[in-house]
Amino acid sequence: MSRSSVAVKQAARSFSSSTRRSLATPVGGAKPALMKKFQIYRWNPDEPAEKPRMQTYDVDLNSCGPMVLDALLKIKNEADPTLTFRRSCREGICGSCAMNIEGQNTLACLCRIDRNENKPSKIYPLPHMYIVKDLVPDMTQFYKQYKSIEPYLQSDNVPDGVEHRQSPEERKKLDGMYECILCACCSTSCPSYWWNQDEYLGPAVLMQAYRWIADSRDDKAAQRKEKLENTFSLYRCHTIFNCTRTCPKGLNPAMAIADMKKEMATA
Amino acid sequence: MSFSRGVQALTRRGIHSSTQTSFSASKSATQQAAQVAQASSSYVEGTVNDPTKFPPPNSAHGSSHWAFERAVSAALVPIIGASFVTSSHPVLDGLICSSLLVHSHIGFDASLTDYLHDRKFPKIGPVARWSVRALTIGTAVGLYSFQTNDIGVTELVARLWTA
Repeated sequence: MSRSSVAVKQAARSFSSSTRRSLATPVGGAKPALMKKFQIYRWNPDEPAEKPRMQTYDVDLNSCGPMVLDALLKIKNEADPTLTFRRSCREGICGSCAMNIEGQNTLACLCRIDRNENKPSKIYPLPHMYIVKDLVPDMTQFYKQYKSIEPYLQSDNVPDGVEHRQSPEERKKLDGMYECILCACCSTSCPSYWWNQDEYLGPAVLMQAYRWIADSRDDKAAQRKEKLENTFSLYRCHTIFNCTRTCPKGLNPAMAIADMKKEMATA
Repeated sequence: MSFSRGVQALTRRGIHSSTQTSFSASKSATQQAAQVAQASSSYVEGTVNDPTKFPPPNSAHGSSHWAFERAVSAALVPIIGASFVTSSHPVLDGLICSSLLVHSHIGFDASLTDYLHDRKFPKIGPVARWSVRALTIGTAVGLYSFQTNDIGVTELVARLWTA
């Protein structure tokens, strides 16, 4: 075997996401292939006149990682390099791979593959978003809305040279809100956000709005609340709870919004 | 013209770094780009660094509206409960009629705001809004005459119950 062909083989292997047989010898021989179909939403902006379609890929689950993201990477590496999706951390902390898997908005990296090989797995981009390509939604509006709530500490009396202190109780209010990774699974699962995305902020952004209202160190709570005093920004929430149900991080945006509504009604 | 506008619109949005090269490929690609340019008029304007704007604050459309809506809904429970255990009383009838009317008016109004708002439906929106108002006023007049000239709402339900 020539040196160059070895180099090519090694290079090819480094791109492969299949289990490497060279690393460990499976006990009792290799597992039989477990082929599962993945039906994936495809749309190419280079051919805008062509309608979006579902493309089916076969993946051997026994030579693939356990998560849907592993299957997507395997398809992209081995079957179809044109398949386009966002991914980064592969451990549910970046929020890039948010998509609609089996009818549920979730992170592909946190979603296990259903090992029933008779049922094809359907993967769509986040619902009711403009699509850039395949599984990549345009998040511009979402980020614009996030910016509009001024998601940073605004304090009139920052202590000089020492910590800005909070009591344990005050800090506890932020638990369940600061963990949000802004993957937009909740917002894009909300029917109100589907219909009124241009005006309604959506659960993710509203929970972050409340995260700063609830922060004891922030002094602009009144101004933050005043911004939401209109028909659309906050009050298009009809307590549907899709947000809480779908959140891949197990957070509760509906609770934060309910707390905010109560606080605004009573204070 | 529309081709160059399309490319501008796409580059301004800053995401489509990969799409531009393909536009120069063929004539059909140019035509397709023109279609995209038309579609882009409905796209989000500005970049991720331009925050969305808020309408002028007004608690009558915000927290007060919400509190009132919830208060009416909560009040309906004891009011309707009371009408079941007492015999029909004009004050109670008046309370039921007015709170049900307000409750359903707010409900219809919310549906129109969700699905038929003026900003998206400049023609049907106002028509629907005024229809709901006319419907509410018509119902109010009808209920008033039914209460004063006939048996009233609770008595009607009681008779239907035993009919």
